[in-house]
Amino acid sequence: MKKLCSTFLIFWLSAGMAHAACYADYKAKRDNPLRLHYGVVEVRGDCSARNAADQLRSALARDGWQLLNVVSVFDDAGLDQRRDSAGEYFLRY
Amino acid sequence: MMLVWIKEGTAQVNTSSATEAREIGSRIVIAGIAAIVAILAITAVLLFINLPDANAFNARVERLFIENDTLTGNAEIKLLEILAQSGTAFSDTLVSYRFIIFVLLVFATALLIAAVAFLVMLIALNRRMGRIERQGIEVNSLTISRDQKAVYLNDFEFKLTDAAIETLAVLAEARMDDEVLTGAEIEGVISGRNAADCDEAAGATRIKRLRDTLGNQMMSELLVKNIARKGYVLAIDKDVIRMI
Repeated sequence: MKKLCSTFLIFWLSAGMAHAACYADYKAKRDNPLRLHYGVVEVRGDCSARNAADQLRSALARDGWQLLNVVSVFDDAGLDQRRDSAGEYFLRY
Repeated sequence: MMLVWIKEGTAQVNTSSATEAREIGSRIVIAGIAAIVAILAITAVLLFINLPDANAFNARVERLFIENDTLTGNAEIKLLEILAQSGTAFSDTLVSYRFIIFVLLVFATALLIAAVAFLVMLIALNRRMGRIERQGIEVNSLTISRDQKAVYLNDFEFKLTDAAIETLAVLAEARMDDEVLTGAEIEGVISGRNAADCDEAAGATRIKRLRDTLGNQMMSELLVKNIARKGYVLAIDKDVIRMI
């Protein structure tokens, strides 16, 4: 019973870790007049730039933004240093 | 020959070569004007194509933003946006420039067309002047006024007798119909008899009288002038006289 419990805990932890620790920073624009923003977003699922871009594109498009590029993907460690730059777009989408 | 007397009639005398030259000239004018319009139209199109696009500035700023990963701060982004806005303002200015350029092109077209037209006119006039100088007298208009018993050659007025006016009128009618009259026919038309019954010599006499009166007056008007109470003088430039 104890063994089962510990196995479950390991699974849950690893799954939870993978979920929580993936973020991406990106650049987006809006035309006429040209507006730019730099933002940070949490990535669900696969922690890759491509996956992040896919998720972002539709979310941004709802507000009329157009994704320019995903700069990088990172985990919790990189979150704080980007908080200031992203400003109001920190974890907004 | 159908004969209708005209009170006032004009007959223009043009040599065929002059008419041909005029046709060629007008064709050259049309071709020249078309060439000018074409060249300026191409210039306008090229100009409008090559003028920078309003979005060129925005695209540049966007690329700057994408390529530089350090430009992520709030202040930097605001700065980039201001840059893009000033670019957009500049592109508004460009639109007005475009309009000014277009207006100037239209002006240029009009002026060039006028220049070509005037140039061709000048050439034609020069040629004409040359011809006139060599010919002595070119008849541009012949107006016969039966009321005043006078004939107007260009601007010269010559008084004629009734008989001479009649003869000249018959000749003018015949010229307008492109006909050549014999002396007998002339006499026939004027006297109202059948040409077959008329004497050739009678017509010839009428022509001789017309030539005498008209020729005499022309000579006095154009060459040997009579200045009242002073005497006679040649009515020509003294530089053109040469004795061989």
